[in-house]
Amino acid sequence: MKNKLKVYRAMHDLTQEQLAEKIGVSRQTVIAIESNKYLPSLGLAFKIARLFKVQIEEIFSYEENADENERD
Amino acid sequence: MNRQKYNQIQVAVVLFVFILIAIAIAGNNYLLSIIGVVVGMVFLALARSKAGIRPDEREVSIQEKAARMTYAIFAPTIGIGSFLLFIPSRSGWSVFSKGEFAYLESLGMVFAYLTLFLIAVYAISYHFLSKKYEGDGDEE
Repeated sequence: MKNKLKVYRAMHDLTQEQLAEKIGVSRQTVIAIESNKYLPSLGLAFKIARLFKVQIEEIFSYEENADENERD
Repeated sequence: MNRQKYNQIQVAVVLFVFILIAIAIAGNNYLLSIIGVVVGMVFLALARSKAGIRPDEREVSIQEKAARMTYAIFAPTIGIGSFLLFIPSRSGWSVFSKGEFAYLESLGMVFAYLTLFLIAVYAISYHFLSKKYEGDGDEE
């Protein structure tokens, strides 16, 4: 899974702390998602997409091989 | 109160409890150490609820993995430990079944029951969660 969270966050001029507060997670979680170290749940992914008023696929894209490593 | 403030309080409480336990152990006062731990836990729980801090999904995921790893390490360790402690006392080796080593069998027994308890708790919670998250089997 790849994501453009950092890009969208920059486009909306939000800090990691502000984004974390808006979506109800810790700043560490935002950092982990941005660096592809943590896969957000479907609920959180929808929350992020709704915040930026885009479709979920515009932020998160699925890649066949990358998924295994990220989940472990 | 924000998360940063809560983290500072957490460090202070941990230090306080640590010092209290050190004093309690030095003075052979075990009640004081228990009271210190309980007060610390209650205080942290209150501070956490006051700060409105809920563990987010990443923390929950980490806790799940840590719990799984703890179980995977702890259960076989005490299981094998109990087995190894039983061998000397049950095999009739006089050195281990009498005198100062006689406690080994009791210790092995405690470990064995602990292993069984751990496996039972795991099995019950697995069964309960499996029921909770199963589908209702409706096929269309």
